[in-house]
Parts: sequence; structure tokens; C-alpha cells
Amino acid sequence: MSGPVPVSIGRDGPALDWPAARRAEVDDALARYPVRRSAILPVLWIAQREWGWLSPEAMALAARTVGLPEPEVFGIATFYTMFNLKPVGRHHLQVCRTLSCSLMGADRLFQHLEQKLGVGHGGTTPDGRFTLRRVECLAACGGGPCMQVGLDYHENLDEAKVDALLETLK
Amino acid sequence: MSGTCRVTINGRTPEVPAGTLVTDAASMAEVHVPIFCSHQKLPPLGACRICVVEVGMPKRDREGKPMLALDGTPEIAWMPKPQTGCTTTVADGMVVATESPGAVKARKGVMEFLLVNHPLDCPVCDEGGECQLQDLAFAFGADFSRMDEAKRTFVSEDLGPVVKKEANRCIVCMRCVRYCDEIMGDDALTAHQRGFRTEISSFDRQPLDCEQCGNCIEVCPVGALTALPYRFKARPWDLRQHVTICPWCSNGCSVRLGVRGTEILRARGTEQRGINREYLCVRGRFGYEFVSHGERLSGALVRSGGSLEPAGFEEAVAVVAARLGDIAAKHGAESVAFLGGEKLYLEEQYLFQKLARGVLGTNHVDARTRFTAPVPGTALLAATGGGRPLLTFEELEHADEALVLFEDLQGESPFAQAGLIRGQHQFGLHLTVAHARRVKLARPKFRGDWLGVKPGGELALLHGLTRAALEAGDPPGLPPATATTLPSLRTALAAWDVERAARESGVAADAIRAAAERLRAAQRPAIVFGRGIAEHPQAKALLQAVENLGWVTGALNAERSRVLYMGPHHNSQGALDMGLSPDVLPGYVPVGDAGARKPFEQQWGKSLSATPGMTAPEILAAAADGRIRALWIAGDHWLRSAPDRALAEKALERAELVIVNDLFLTETARHAHVVFAAAAFAEKEGTSVNAERRIQRAARALSKHRGTRTDMEIFVAVARALGATWSYRGAEDVYREIARLAPGFAGTSWATMLPLGPQWARETPAAGGALAAADDAKLAAGPTDGLWLLSGGTLFLQGSLSHRTELLPRLAKPARAFLSRGDAQRLALGEGDSIELTGPAGRTRLPVALDDTVPPGCVFVPYAFPGVELNRLGAPAGAGLRVAARKASQAERVEA
Amino acid sequence: MRGPLLFSDIDTPGLTSIETYRKGGGYATASSVVGTKPPDEVIEIVKASGLRGRGGAGFPAGLKWSFVPKKTSKPKYLVCNADESEPGTFKDRELMEKNPHLLIEGMILTAWAIQANTGYIYLRGEFDYIQHILDQALAEARAAGLLGAAAGGKGFALEIHTHLGAGAYICGEETALLSSLEGYRGQPRLKPPFPAVEGLYACPTVVNNVETLMNVPHIVKNGAAWFRQWGTEKSPGTKILSVSGPVKRPGNYEVPMGLPLSTLLNEHCGGMRDGMKVKAVIPGGSSVPLLPASMLGTGLDFESMVAAGTLLGSGGVIVIDEQTCIVDALWNITRFYEHESCGKCTPCREGTYWMSEVFARLERGEGRESDIDLLYDVSDNILGKSFCALGDAAAMPVMGAIKHFRDEFEFHVRERRCMVNRRAPGLTERQTEAVPA
Repeated sequence: MSGPVPVSIGRDGPALDWPAARRAEVDDALARYPVRRSAILPVLWIAQREWGWLSPEAMALAARTVGLPEPEVFGIATFYTMFNLKPVGRHHLQVCRTLSCSLMGADRLFQHLEQKLGVGHGGTTPDGRFTLRRVECLAACGGGPCMQVGLDYHENLDEAKVDALLETLK
Repeated sequence: MSGTCRVTINGRTPEVPAGTLVTDAASMAEVHVPIFCSHQKLPPLGACRICVVEVGMPKRDREGKPMLALDGTPEIAWMPKPQTGCTTTVADGMVVATESPGAVKARKGVMEFLLVNHPLDCPVCDEGGECQLQDLAFAFGADFSRMDEAKRTFVSEDLGPVVKKEANRCIVCMRCVRYCDEIMGDDALTAHQRGFRTEISSFDRQPLDCEQCGNCIEVCPVGALTALPYRFKARPWDLRQHVTICPWCSNGCSVRLGVRGTEILRARGTEQRGINREYLCVRGRFGYEFVSHGERLSGALVRSGGSLEPAGFEEAVAVVAARLGDIAAKHGAESVAFLGGEKLYLEEQYLFQKLARGVLGTNHVDARTRFTAPVPGTALLAATGGGRPLLTFEELEHADEALVLFEDLQGESPFAQAGLIRGQHQFGLHLTVAHARRVKLARPKFRGDWLGVKPGGELALLHGLTRAALEAGDPPGLPPATATTLPSLRTALAAWDVERAARESGVAADAIRAAAERLRAAQRPAIVFGRGIAEHPQAKALLQAVENLGWVTGALNAERSRVLYMGPHHNSQGALDMGLSPDVLPGYVPVGDAGARKPFEQQWGKSLSATPGMTAPEILAAAADGRIRALWIAGDHWLRSAPDRALAEKALERAELVIVNDLFLTETARHAHVVFAAAAFAEKEGTSVNAERRIQRAARALSKHRGTRTDMEIFVAVARALGATWSYRGAEDVYREIARLAPGFAGTSWATMLPLGPQWARETPAAGGALAAADDAKLAAGPTDGLWLLSGGTLFLQGSLSHRTELLPRLAKPARAFLSRGDAQRLALGEGDSIELTGPAGRTRLPVALDDTVPPGCVFVPYAFPGVELNRLGAPAGAGLRVAARKASQAERVEA
Repeated sequence: MRGPLLFSDIDTPGLTSIETYRKGGGYATASSVVGTKPPDEVIEIVKASGLRGRGGAGFPAGLKWSFVPKKTSKPKYLVCNADESEPGTFKDRELMEKNPHLLIEGMILTAWAIQANTGYIYLRGEFDYIQHILDQALAEARAAGLLGAAAGGKGFALEIHTHLGAGAYICGEETALLSSLEGYRGQPRLKPPFPAVEGLYACPTVVNNVETLMNVPHIVKNGAAWFRQWGTEKSPGTKILSVSGPVKRPGNYEVPMGLPLSTLLNEHCGGMRDGMKVKAVIPGGSSVPLLPASMLGTGLDFESMVAAGTLLGSGGVIVIDEQTCIVDALWNITRFYEHESCGKCTPCREGTYWMSEVFARLERGEGRESDIDLLYDVSDNILGKSFCALGDAAAMPVMGAIKHFRDEFEFHVRERRCMVNRRAPGLTERQTEAVPA
């Protein structure tokens, strides 16, 4: 890519740029593929790791980094369920809802969490500690009910275990 | 792929070219297979599934012989699943069933699915009456739906001032997204989410960052995308629809105007007709409003006392005839000049110069009022191949190498730009864009090559390209006359080695060589230029240089021309073709050629002057100093178009007689002695010639606005008042005369122009094609520490007519000067601050917009903003002119 | 030993480290084959072994490899499909977590066979921790000279990268995976052209499942006949089944192809928990029709499952007990496909939505007599008409369930409740699901 990139129409927030600490990761991601646009998923992940969610400014940064039009990156980011399109709590609780976990009690477990945290699917506790979601099969079916906290797996859960786990998540 | 295939579709057995899609083959066999996501300009997608059909191949035994059933018919091995016809290519022997029980059930199933979430909005949806979903549901669906669950809903949104989106109605065919990507190159639309939640929108639901062309609306098969300017105005069955030629640029798109009563309510593409089919740009689609603008002139005006007073048409004609005759008698026909006419229809252009030459006897005729150099009419013909058969826009899309010279096609020729973008995405076209600014076509995403020419370096670049091409090898296909001039070209270019060209053009030597080589090696080259060359002070040298480059790279050869000139207006080409230049008669017959002149003299009943007249810049100077005493300006706001405003004001003040034909009382018209109220393009019929040299018919869509006359009526009336015996039964009659007289137009007629008009070509190309040394005119000086003033056309505005629409000026946003961040910083300017630009003749003040596509040391001010007159700053505006630039404080008054 | 082949050493402590892997004989095959044995020979061995894709489609691996053009100027790619998202399936996760080097060795050999110089492992987004394990193993392999500019020291350049998805079941479909890997929304593409000819970046590409690739080193080392000691004529080798549901010992089990399903459940998994009884078993991940209890003797191989009216698929065995409502279970599955539908084609996008709504109504007690035939017909209108197999995956289970358990559906309509339901019916998520920003 050579030459200046035309000025984008500008987003509501100030334009983001990669903190120095992330540049190596970004360069590594770009280097893995012969076609630059393949790096869009790893670059979006880096942005989410950095800022916790993908704001329009973050998507615009990812678009600039990879050389894709901003609207296209918006379409890519919103296609995948693991990209947070709004801020999430410190601990993102994702309870599997698919059949195997459901057979082992995941529905009651989720109900329990809803009552305990006072939020429904997609909601965040007022103190910003937990976001609760139901997600599809996590490939932990033999250990259901399963819940991912962030990217960590927790299997064979029941109400007591999940209560104990939440205690440890500050 | 070559060859044909015999296929069987519902028992019919058409023979179709190999590579045909099943849906198209069905169409050829008059079997209707419905489509939604499929589109004539987009690659097959296979997403909507409505075109599912059953497909099979004849069973063959081990020796390859067809296996027959008991009744002797071939046994068919049917594919286990129905196939989408739009993604299946025919094979020889293929059998297709579109009405078998399996195909019908599959299709009905898809139709039912399409209506699962689609709301029953027809009563409130603008698409009703011309909706593909309605039509196809009626033809192919069931008459009831089994789905009565709650439907998924979205919130409607405006995606800017043009596009209304009602996502509930969307069937996710993705035509809009793909068209915007592949044809428009804007990538403004995108799909959010997935599954049933898929919603087409923009980046973060912000207004679409795009050309606002509305083609997304055009290709949407349902009412999900509709046009805000047209919203709730009419039902399609209320409208009379007429196909005319778009009045804006020289692409000559066909426009289907929807008229109710006396008002144009909308403009649409034509699906299958014209060079554009469904495509229109924002001007073509939304720019018709000026026709019904409240300030339309509704009667002639004659100056009496100090002011213009309403007058009857006959009275105005009499005044004009009397005074013209008077001036011609006293001071000679050479004291009268005829300017403008690029926006008139061909027949009117013909009559305009016939009035000038055949009645008054003057050759001071020039439509090209924006030109800054005295360019002969033959020069543009020579640069584009002398009248040899010319490239079509379709061939342009399929070029393998296209060179665009000093022209921002986005503003000047949006359809040609879309064709180049499509070619780049779909047909392997490679673009080389030579322009000072990094214009849209030069954006990195299009993967072409940008030659960042420095202002004033255009001629150097062309010399460099030509020299590099000659160094690479001898040009092929030169006709003998041209070949003999090759040595003198080589000699002339001896001083122009590629390194010198690089220095003076600002383009690296290896980039010049690579571009020249690409063009030379191309099987299907194309060169495109426009007013960046034609209106340049070095136009004569540049046009010769373009011609040189054409011949040495093979873009021009003995048989064909692949060099396109994009004039600014819809009939700029026609104006050239009809002799609205001082040195040629219609058909480029040189006025000095006694033999070729004869048919005209016979037809017109007058001996014609053999001396070429003055070009527009010469007329400007001559009128300012009194040598020209009478000016007739047809459909041109001369004060804005003339290269030197001060001089034009002087000319209008000084002239004894100024006659203006216009739709509006422009500032130019205010200076006139007689103003004729002219009919608009949609209010008359005629023909127009586009940049392909294609002659196209424009239908009349409306009655004339009250009090107006067509330009033809005006010219005929004045001619007759001057004693001519002109007698025409209508515009078609005039065309017949043109076809009889103008070389290249012979054999054409109105009747042969539908559905698509012919390109004209000369049987014998015009003499020319002589490669000559290009001379170097000196460019205007200016402060050496100033900024180069760049100008050009832009997309939303084209001339003062576009100011008289509601939408276009709003889209263009207020006038501003575009500056790179570096220069802005140097001048301590931020976005929105005021910059003052001073040229040799005047100054102007504008807010600043930061734009890094503007190179350092330059300021870009588009021509067409209302209230901004670059020709005040100096002559010639926008070409090789340097202006002093400084920050202006808010307190300072804006001066004229 | 947990299993005969891939699971033979799976629980070796420290197997993720290259030293331990090599101690057990790992990478010896790659080292001896790469640069020495002609690539076509490797393809022939795998072809002869009859190894079929273990991700769900069951396409013969060696045959797929042989479609890659030999003479081409385009670069070739090998992509490992580690998107494991088929409900009920969790075998690739355990395989990669515990034995990453076997996957790498399998990819090295496959890349050599098809002459690909770049490989990607496409992991589902949730497998972030697996990406770390694989990246570590790849670094070890690189350091050992097994990857790089002259892999194996024999001048064969090969680089393998991991690539993380971000939550989309559809990206397990090979052309959608390639779309996603190329940097687009993960939607499937037209076939033909097939990936072996025009895949990643329009270059020849082989896409294989994790388990499939992990079989390759064993097969190349020991030969086709050795591999055929297990399994059936048409389904040679072993298969890892992931068993879930209320059995005593859920988990991954490697068994010879052809083993009766009942043997797997009763002997390996210890039968049902808590005195429960089997009502039905989904044998191959939620995309395949269920088997009623009467058909549990069916062999766990491709052809037997087809004969039984279902498919072996990914081998995700989901056990449904008698106290579970079949209608509720199918609603759960249908909602999965509704969420995972990419939205490209009409039948899947609209059909899964529609069916979910009808199921919801049945579960709410507002079902109608016509609903049952409606569900069947809607499924039939999706089956074979959608752009890709996800539509079929949504349709087939519903049709199977209605075929075998129509009485449960009729009960819902008549009695306005489930025949049995030991779990609470799934929450109506639409009330609580926030509309995404």
C-alpha cells in the first residue's frame, strides 16, 4: 500500500491508535498472511483485548490497519458473536444453552444466575462486575453445564459451584 | 469459452453460447425463471434461491451412448437437489425443468420463506406497483401464507438525505451492498449481524459516505431502500414515463423521467436501455428539479431604459433581428459572435451555427466558452482519432489498461468512472491515473497506479510517456501518412528524455516508463481525457501530445480509436460535431475547403466565408475591446464559464447587443439586451451526442414551461425575421438536413436510434494523425511562494443549473477550499478556519477543509460552488495559476 | 490405554512438549518422509487406507488430496478445520489440548503430500487457550527445524500459523471457513470451484479436520493395511465419539468404527445415570436425525448410520433420556441453527426463524394440529434448497424427530404441555435478549 490514505469522514470520538505495547502484536498478525485483509480477525481481537470492546473508533482503527473500508469492518465485526459491541463487565459470564448442557441443567443454572445478579441475557450488573449471556455450544458437552468466564472454561457446574466461582471473581 | 450448447428447457431446445447461465438460457427460450439476488452487472451469488430449477444430464452407457426409456425419450440423471439457475452454467445436452412438481414446490417454498418476515407494507410502501416481490409473489407464490408468528422487526432509518431504509422489508439479496462495492467502489453499505437479524446499514448507522447515486435504491427489488426525495409523492401508475438523455455530463445516460401533470417527480434508470441501463449518478437521478424551479423565466425580456422588461416573443425576435441586421450591415458580419450551445440538442446546435454562418455570414462561432486557449475544432477530433470508429463505454470497462489523464471522473463523468471501477473488479482492468490530486480512482484500494503530476507538469508527463513508449519499440498499426511523420516526432522529443520528463512532471522516471509499457503492451488499451486538457492554457500542445501518445502506444491505429474525450456537458460532443467552433462546419468540414463547403452553400443558399473565425477566448478579448459588438450566448452562464471574469464583464458592458437564451435570469442574462426564455431539456425532443460519439434520441417528457420557446423555435424565428426561408416541420426535419450534409452522420436517422443510437464515424478519417512537435506555451506566473490553485468539476454540482435544485447544493455542502494537513498547519489553519486566496485579478475567502488527497503546495477549490467565482482570481482559473494564501480573520469583510 | 490409536498415548504427562512427544516416537515419520518419499506416494498410502474425513462429511481424505492440481504456479495451502462447533462434539478440543504435536506432524506430512508451503489452523474463537498451546508447540517445532524455510532440513519450506475465529458455527463449513480466514464475513461460497482447485485466495487448498490430520502420521508410518485392522471396509480406522447427556461417564471415547452404539453407551460410558432410561440418541452431532432407543444397535460407522436413516457426522453422541421432552429438545436445537444461520440464503435464514417460533408456540401450549405437518413441510422446503449444509442440518433433526416421536408433538397440541419434561422448558430468550447495539 503506497501513498496517503484519504481522510475518513471521522467518527464521534477521537481517532484511536495502537498503544506502543500492542504494536508488536499487530505487526505479527499482519505478517502471518500473504493478503493483508486476512489479519482483520486477529487485529479486532487485539483491539478488544486492549479496550474491552469494539467501539466504532476501534473498528475504524482496525480498518485503517488492515486497509479495509470501515463499513466492511463493521459488517465483519458484527457477524461474529464473540466481539463485544458495547462495553462488558469485568467478568463476562457466558453460559452454554445448547442441548447437551441443557440436558444437564444449564437452564436452571442460568435462571439462578439471573436471579442472583439481577440481570438478564446481555445485561451488566450496575457495579460493572458481571455481564451475563447465554451462548451456543462451547465444545464442553461432556462436562456440562459449562460456562466461559472471559475465555476461561468452567465445566461441571451447579449452583453451589457457580456461587463459589463468582465469589472469586472480583 | 467458445462454441454453443444445445439445452432443453421445459421441452424447448434453444442453442445458446457456451458459458451461458441457466437463467439467461431460460430467458432466451422465453421461459421465465424469477430472480432477486441475481443482477446483470454482478457476478452470480445464488443466495436468494428463488431461481431454483431441476437440472439433469442425459444418462449415457459405458460407450457414451444416450440411454433411452421405453418410450424412446432419453433417460435423464437428475441432480439430487434443485440448482440455482443463476449459478449454473449450461452444458451441452443439459435438461432443465422449471415447472416440474419438484421445481414448483421448491420455488413456492422459497417464495413463502421470503414472505415470512416481509411485512405487508404494500399500502404504505413506495415500491408498490413496481415491486419485484409483489410481481413474483403474484406469479409464482401461493395466495396465502401459513406463517402467522410475530415477524422480526428493525427500526427504520435515513441513511443520509437520499436513502430511506426500511429494513423490515429487506430480503437480504445483497444487491445494494455488492453494487456499491463493485460498481460504485464506495463500499458504503454493509450487512450488520447475521441470520434473521441481518440488517443492511452503514458504518455505525451514520449517513452513507458515498456518491449518493441512489443506485442501491434502483437495484433493490423491494421497498427496503427507497428515495427520500420521492417518498410518498406518487404511485408508479400515476406517472407517465419518458426516456430522455440526462442533461448533465457527456456520458449520455438514458433517464426515465416520471411525470405527473406538469411536474417531473422522479428520475430512474432504464434497466435495459441506453449505455447505462439501471445506473444513474446523483445528478442524473436527483438533479431534474431545476426544470420546475420557481425562478424559471416565463417570457422574453427586452432592455428598455436601464432595465429588462417583459416582452412578447415576437417583439423580442423583431428587436433581435433588427439590431443584429443593423450591426452586421454597419460593421460587418465579423462584428457578431455566437457563443455557447453545449447544452442544446444537436438540431439546435446545427441551427445556431447555420444562423451565424448561413444567415449572418460570420464564422465567430464557439461553444467552448470555458476554453482558455484558442483550440481549433479539428484539434479535438485529431486527438481522438480523426473520426475513426470509437471505443464504447462497454469496451472501456473491458480494457486491460486504461490511462486517465488529468481528469477526476467522479465529478466529470461518473458513469465512466463506475465502468472503470467495475472493470477493475470484474474484468481485470488496470488503471493508471495521472492527476495532481489523489482522486477517487487513484485510491490505493483500486490497486491501480497513481501518477501524481505536479501542476503545470502535464505536458512534460505526456512527452515522457511518448518518449518512453518510443524507446520501448516501434508503434504498430500506423497509417502511411502518419508513419512518415514519426521521424520528426522522434526529433522533437529528443530533448525530452524520461529523466527530464520526470523532473518537470513530478512523476518518477520508472513510473513513467512502466505506464508507457503497460499501455504499449495492452491488448485493449484506453486513454481518457477531458477538460483537464481541453481547458488548459497549453491545450493545443497537450492535445497534440495526446494524439502522439495514442499513435505510439496503439490506442490509435488505422482502424479504430481508443481515445475518449469527455466533454463537460451532455452535448459537448455534439457541439463539436455540429461545427460550433470557428474553423469547421458540421461534420468537421474545414471552412477553408471550398469543395467540401459546396453542399452547405447549396443547402443554405449562401456563399460561406473561408476564413476561420475567432475561438471563444479570442471572442472574449475582442468583445472586451470592442471589435465584437454583438454577442449571442446560448444556454451558458458566460460570466462564470469565461476564463477571465473581469474581461467578460467588460465585454458584456461594452457590447452593443447581447442576446441570451436561458432558463433562468442568470447574472449573465442580467447584462443582456434581449433574453429569450428557453425550454428545458425535458420539454423538447431532439438528439444528443455523448462522449462515445453515440447519437441518442431524447424524448419530450413535459410541455414547455409557460412563456418559453425551444432554442430551435428561437433560432428559426430570428432567422426568418432576418429574411431566411427556413422551413422545418420539427426537430426531426432538421436532423434529416444534418444527415444529408455532415460527414459521419450520413445514413443515420431518428428512426434508427432506438433502442440504442449508433456511434457516428467518418468513412475517411479526417486528415490529421500527423505526429508533430508539440509546442510549449508558457504558463501563467504567480507568486513563487504561493499555492497552486487546482480546480475541477465535482460530483454534486455542475454549473448554475445544479444550484437550482433542492438536494444537490445540500449534498455538496458549503463552498470550501481543500488543503493538505501539512499546508494547513504551515498557514496556522484548522478545519473551518478562513483562508484568503489572492490571484493576479482578485481574491476570495473560503472556509478550509483538510484533505490529504490534495498534494503539498496546492489548494483545491472545485468550480461549481455557488458564489465562488474562480475566474475572478486570474486567468486562467485553475490551470497553472498560483495564488497567495493566508489565513483570514473572521472580522474581515468578504470582498468581491 | 484409553483408545487404540489417537488415544493410545493421549494422557501421557507432558505430551504437549516436544521432548516428550519425540520420546514416544513423535516426528520420526515426518523427518523420514519429508524431502524423501515422493508426495504422490504419501497420497496413495492415505488413499489406500480409506481414511475418511472425521469432521462430519466423511469425504475420503486421500481422494480430496489428489484433486489438488500438480502443475500450477499458484501457492498451495493446507487448512486445519479446528472450528469444532457441532453441538455434542468436543473431541478436537481434547486432542489439541493434550497432543498438539501430533496435529502438527499430521499437517507437516499432509502439506508435503500436497506440496503446500503454508498451513493455517482455524480455531473457533472460544479456543483461545488452545491457540496458546498450539503456538507454543509450533514454536518448539520451528526451533527444532521441523518448520521454516527448509523444514526438516530438506529444503521444503513450510510455515504453519494459528488463526482464531470469533464465534460462528458456520465457519466450520469449509468455504465459510475460507471466507472468514480471508477476512470476510464467514459466509459459504459457491462450489464448484472446489477448494482443492480454488480455495484460500483462489489457490488450491485442502481443508481437513483435526482428527483426520492426526491420523495421518500413524497411517504413513504403519501403512494402509495396518490402519484397516480397525473399522469396516467402507469406514476403516477408529473414531473418537464425544458422549454427552445423562450417562454415567460422559467424555471422549476412541473406538473402532463399526462398534454398536449401545456398546459404547453401556460399556464405555457405564450406561445411564440415576436409573434413567434412554429415549433417543443423536449419534453424530445435533445436525443429524436422532435414533430412537429401538435402534441403538446401529454400528458407529458411516454406512450403518446412513442405512439407519441418520448420519455418523462428527460423532457427537447426545443421549436423551425418557424424562426429556423431545419437542423441547428439538426447539433447543432449532434455536441453535436460528442463531448460527449466516443469513445468506432465504430458506435457512427465514426457515429456522419460522420453526423456532412454531416450537415456541408448541412449548407455550398454543400449538395447533397443523403445526406438526407445517414443521415437517418447512423442513422439507429447506432440505436441499439452502445454499449450504447448515440448512440441511436444521431440517433433518426436525424431520427425524417428527418421524419417530410424532406422539409427543401431538400431545403438545392436544394437552397444551409436554408429555414429560424434567427440565424447565428453555427460557424465552426473546424477552431477555438485548437487541445488539
